Amino acid sequence: MEDKTALRARDFWTSLVLIAVSAFFLWRTTHIPFFATRTAGVSSGDWYNSAAVVPYGIFGLMLLVSIGLLTISIREGGAERALRGAGIGWERDEVIRMGCISAILFFYIFSLVPRVDFIIASALLITTLIFGFHGGHTGRMKLSAAVFSVAGLYALIVHFPESQWAKPHDDDWVTLIVWVGFTAWTLWRHGSEPQVRVAPYIAVLVPLLLVLAMAFGFRQNVPNRSGLIFSQIEYHYYVTLKPLWAK
Amino acid sequence: MDYFLTQVAGFWFELVSLASDPITYVYLVCSVFLGIVFGALPGLTATLAVTILTGFFGNKFPLEQSLIALIGAYVGAIYGGSYPSILLNIPGTAASAATAMDGNPLAKQGRGGEALGMTTTASFIGTLIGTGFLLVFVWLLLMISKNIASPEKALLALFGILLSGTLMSKDLVLKGWISGLIGLAMAMVGLDPILSETRYTFGWSYLMSGFQVVPVLMGAFAVPQIMDGMRADGSIGQKVDVGRIVPRIGTVMRRFPTIARSGVIGTGIGALPGVGEDVAGWVSYGVGRTVCKDGDKFGTGSVNGLLSAEAANNAAIGGALIPLLVLGIPGSPPAAALLGALKINNVIPGPTIDPQLILHVVAILVMASFTMAIMGLLTARVFIMVLRIPQTIFLPVVMVLTTIGSFSVGGGINDLYLMLAVGFVAFAMNAMHYPIAPLVIGVILGPLFDETFRRSLLISDGDLSTFWTRPGAAILLALNVALVVSQLPIVKRLFTGRKRSPI
Repeated sequence: MEDKTALRARDFWTSLVLIAVSAFFLWRTTHIPFFATRTAGVSSGDWYNSAAVVPYGIFGLMLLVSIGLLTISIREGGAERALRGAGIGWERDEVIRMGCISAILFFYIFSLVPRVDFIIASALLITTLIFGFHGGHTGRMKLSAAVFSVAGLYALIVHFPESQWAKPHDDDWVTLIVWVGFTAWTLWRHGSEPQVRVAPYIAVLVPLLLVLAMAFGFRQNVPNRSGLIFSQIEYHYYVTLKPLWAK
Repeated sequence: MDYFLTQVAGFWFELVSLASDPITYVYLVCSVFLGIVFGALPGLTATLAVTILTGFFGNKFPLEQSLIALIGAYVGAIYGGSYPSILLNIPGTAASAATAMDGNPLAKQGRGGEALGMTTTASFIGTLIGTGFLLVFVWLLLMISKNIASPEKALLALFGILLSGTLMSKDLVLKGWISGLIGLAMAMVGLDPILSETRYTFGWSYLMSGFQVVPVLMGAFAVPQIMDGMRADGSIGQKVDVGRIVPRIGTVMRRFPTIARSGVIGTGIGALPGVGEDVAGWVSYGVGRTVCKDGDKFGTGSVNGLLSAEAANNAAIGGALIPLLVLGIPGSPPAAALLGALKINNVIPGPTIDPQLILHVVAILVMASFTMAIMGLLTARVFIMVLRIPQTIFLPVVMVLTTIGSFSVGGGINDLYLMLAVGFVAFAMNAMHYPIAPLVIGVILGPLFDETFRRSLLISDGDLSTFWTRPGAAILLALNVALVVSQLPIVKRLFTGRKRSPI
């Protein structure tokens, strides 16, 4: 069990955030008509008709329980420790680990998945996560996050507008080169480690099989159909393969 | 009585038609296998297994077929959690945490195979007990539920969120309630269900339809596990040897009273809105320690202790489906994921649900429990090998799975943004010991609470007494109040005699 005072120090900050959030949303709720409203020509003049009734209750209660949490955290010594990094139980290595994972996931979801071929983006994700985090080495975590960020930042900056997402671009090639280069480097420098040897197979096979299963087996939508690899797969599925059994 | 016999006959007809379709076996074997693997791998949960499959099936497949896969994975995952609990002392799922108490000491005594065999049998019988109760009680409750109006539904939804917050909280109960309130607040985003008034959309058209259930589930359960699990862990990856797995019939018969009692307890706990299999396991374990002759040996490798936990968590599946099918209120987080699947397919559980669908669910549960037992007893060594895969290898794969699953359901990048945002929030909440299940239950029950609460006020012209003048509503209101009051420090001190206990 973690140090309880450290937990209360975190509770102290959380309760302050929750109080601020509750107050903000209580204020936002005032934008929803409460008395004497007229929506789409329909008069609904009673408070119990209002769409704000339940939100007022929810955010009002949240404000109350947050104040309760603040009181408990102060009473149990959380406030005294709250201003020290160590007081809230943060360790440097853990902060680095979380920062690296958060950066990788952020660039994967916000940058690569919308813009880059899903197979290539996922291959880079799997490779960087396995290499960076398997052994718990801080240096590898930072390197993985940096490599992933290069591909992510390029796609994000060069092809930022939504109108560019579905179009084929050089960001597919950049991500592919980053993945091939990083994989080759890991195999060259750390090829004796089993997880490094197995990572390229997982990185290619898993997203490839998943996309094939989703697109052609489960008939579901998949991200970025115009991506470098998937567009070729889809083209040859409909133009080369399907006519074979359609006839 | 005639009505009951008609339902039993309907169940047998459904079971035979399901069993005579070869595709059923393909779905069952694949989904139960996947479920056991998800349960066996620490960090992956039953909820995640059901949610990921929901993303895969979406509404492109007939619901009858999707349900086979989803329920198969649910049953398999709750059972699969026992493997690492017994062999590695690491609960594969929260539901199997109590299993580790006696399962691992048994494995250390060289009786790992026996523990696995007995666990499989108990899970199988437990699931059947839960299914039996589901078959009987769902009809009784359906008849009663026709008299349940908006005030009762609103109070029941509130009770589910409060109860989940109270029982799931490992630190302060307040944190469970805050988690439930955050879920409720998230459910308020979008067009309101009665006047179509926009709420908290901040001009973003995506938010007009509110938060989608599947990305929220994926974010709440997958992303925090990935962020937390990506660390060096020496306890996974070791080779485990077990002896004979298939249990002897005499041993099973001797332990049957324990299994039956735990099955009944598990079903009862599972039927409570929003509580789930993990609480069922612990409650049954606690009862077992009190009533069993060898109760003082619980925790040191007692087979009765092992069976108390394991029969109950699987029986809770049937129990959790009772409120889901009757009222649209999930009894557990995986049942909440099932509700998401039903909604995607435009099925609204409740008094108007198609009775044929209920019989179909019951038949699937029976077949899934048989599949689980056969696979558990005959292919256990495959699942033991799965335990050797380190988290740092399979969690990146899970991230890719959740991404494509979440994208496919809504078909948009915005769902992925929502998933990641919820994931970061859920991770922070996990780190500060806030339970995530009440948040998810809040998101799912929020629209129901909002609509029924306001409809009650609308019908009664704003008269709040509608919540206590109806007998059913009065009982539920009393339960809600009692639940909150029972957690007040002054009341706790009165009943437990403890000095100071923060809420």
